[in-house]
Amino acid sequence: MNDPVNIGTLLSGTLSDTLTVSLPLFRPELTLSATIVLLLLCRMLPLLRLLDSALVALGGAAFALWYAWLDMQALPVFAEAASTAGGRTEIFSGLLVFDSFTAYLRCILAGFLVLYIVFTKVSGIPDREDGADFYSLVLGATLGMCLMASANHLLMVFMAVEMASVPSYALAGILKGRRAASEAAIKYAVYGAGAAGIMLYGISLLAGMLGTCHLPSMAVELGRFAQAGAPGGSVMVLCLGGLMLAVGLAFKLSAVPFHFWCPDVFEGAAAEVGAFLSVASKAAAVALLIRVAYGLGMPAGGAAAGELVADLAPVRHFAVAVIALMAAVTCTLGNLAAYGQTNMKRLLAYSTIAHAGYLMMGVAAAMALAGPKPAAAATAVGAVAFYLGTYVFMNLAAFAIVAFLRNRLRSEEIAAYAGLVRTSPGIVVATAVVLVSLIGLPPLAGFVAKFLVFSSLVQAISLGVDRQLMLLLLVVGGVNTVISLFYYLRVLKVMTFDPPPEDRVGEAFPLVSLSGAVVTALAVPVLVLGIFWSGLYAAAQLAGAFAS
Amino acid sequence: MIGNFVQPCLAGLLSDPVSVTHYLVVGAILFVSGVACMAMKRNALGVLMGIELVLNGANVNFVAFASPWLQGAGARSLGLDGQVIALFVILLAAAEAAVALAITLNFYNNHSTVDIDRADDLKG
Repeated sequence: MNDPVNIGTLLSGTLSDTLTVSLPLFRPELTLSATIVLLLLCRMLPLLRLLDSALVALGGAAFALWYAWLDMQALPVFAEAASTAGGRTEIFSGLLVFDSFTAYLRCILAGFLVLYIVFTKVSGIPDREDGADFYSLVLGATLGMCLMASANHLLMVFMAVEMASVPSYALAGILKGRRAASEAAIKYAVYGAGAAGIMLYGISLLAGMLGTCHLPSMAVELGRFAQAGAPGGSVMVLCLGGLMLAVGLAFKLSAVPFHFWCPDVFEGAAAEVGAFLSVASKAAAVALLIRVAYGLGMPAGGAAAGELVADLAPVRHFAVAVIALMAAVTCTLGNLAAYGQTNMKRLLAYSTIAHAGYLMMGVAAAMALAGPKPAAAATAVGAVAFYLGTYVFMNLAAFAIVAFLRNRLRSEEIAAYAGLVRTSPGIVVATAVVLVSLIGLPPLAGFVAKFLVFSSLVQAISLGVDRQLMLLLLVVGGVNTVISLFYYLRVLKVMTFDPPPEDRVGEAFPLVSLSGAVVTALAVPVLVLGIFWSGLYAAAQLAGAFAS
Repeated sequence: MIGNFVQPCLAGLLSDPVSVTHYLVVGAILFVSGVACMAMKRNALGVLMGIELVLNGANVNFVAFASPWLQGAGARSLGLDGQVIALFVILLAAAEAAVALAITLNFYNNHSTVDIDRADDLKG
């Protein structure tokens, strides 16, 4: 550490590392950044102002998706990836990490972004005037989410969470002059900033105790603590720091007890904003949870590090206990609270909370399996990755239906949907596909995703690791699926059996229209992925390979 | 009981040479005041000030952990990492405050108040 270093060598080493290794693996994020600059420039130059900002944003997102896809293609096949920990490469001097999981998540996020921009363009929020602001905020938040998926350093964990959150606060209040929107924005900003502050304090405690912020180095230090016996009191400080870090992550995941913002923000903000927060933000939060839990609980390079894996068992046990308990409570509360809702956006908010619970169950199973059976842990991470892939289509389709129905019926109340089947049967069928997939019934994508997550729980039970907790999760998951049946089907019942209100405004909503095409394009993959799921499954398994 | 525990600690703090612990105490006081401020203030601006206090409490920790002179012999310090994190946090706190103030102004325009407790239209 104290060896004299020639500044010239230092600079040229950093420069060549940045230019030859880091930046080529950072192309999707660079594309997003360039698009944001372009969007802002377009507002200033008179000729470019004629350009529709949605098209600029769509072009940027498509390029980002293309680069993310190229990175995904360049990955080694599964068997090889598993032996090299998913082709793990640390970039930007260890601040970020590139591996199969990063590549997969970036594909998901960029793909979501493309679909999302098309959807918002068709649904009409934002209008032409707000477009540049809206899309630069959306792209900025997505940039932060890509960083969340590849964070390898606690500074990046904090920065990425903030980069994803701060634009989201502004997005929540993007509807001008609406009481509900401004209330949603202020609630989101206050809760979010508070959670971020507490997370930062936790990070400072962890970093100070371990003398480093680099996640793999922290794992090494934790292993040393576990082996040598930690000095008095330091375990308590480490646990406290870990719990405070978990507060920030739980806020992003909208896990109980940090979920209060979620229903209010979804109800107050536009359905388009809800779609963004519900899908992209949730996927990134789950990815970050996996990154942090794996970074601290397993040595970099997976099981190959031998002794350290055993030394870190207490860390993993702590993580499993926290994540599993939170998952069980989140899932149950989300489903129970959704039962009495009358507003569709609020119902979907509680459904989002419940799904965060299912996703966290998968993460808990992966952490439990990581020590004794890394290959099974990789499958569990793959199951979560698959869940995220299907979740994009399910939830985006659900919010798209809410947004398009709002444009026609001027209402987001479930009661306003009564008897829609008589005038617009196509949209009711699409809604049925999406909601039944959210319940998790065959033959739809949601069933496969849920089945994979539950089967990783069964695997953990059969291996006998953290048996009680995993058994609890499996039971809670099963019971919750039954509970969720009632409130999703109630929406369908209102749509089909209830008589339409006398004073219905707005015309029928045929599937053969621009907005109908968007709904179809989102709902058909839900059906197709439920039957032909092997392609996405292979990609998700490759993503999980970093954990083996 | 608590006095028996606190008194030697306080005495130690006052007589020992300045070390990381002293800075941590300052950071902890800032953090606790910030959290109390967030929990109890009804004025949105007061809540935002509480958030600033929390962030600065963490910053004091980072800078203290970063200093190689404050640590006991042989202990690892965070080194430059801590100071760089502190700089980034200052920057982020400014960005967050700007957005949060804009949102508060928007709230004021719609509700004619900055009382957080009046934000109760959405519930259930």
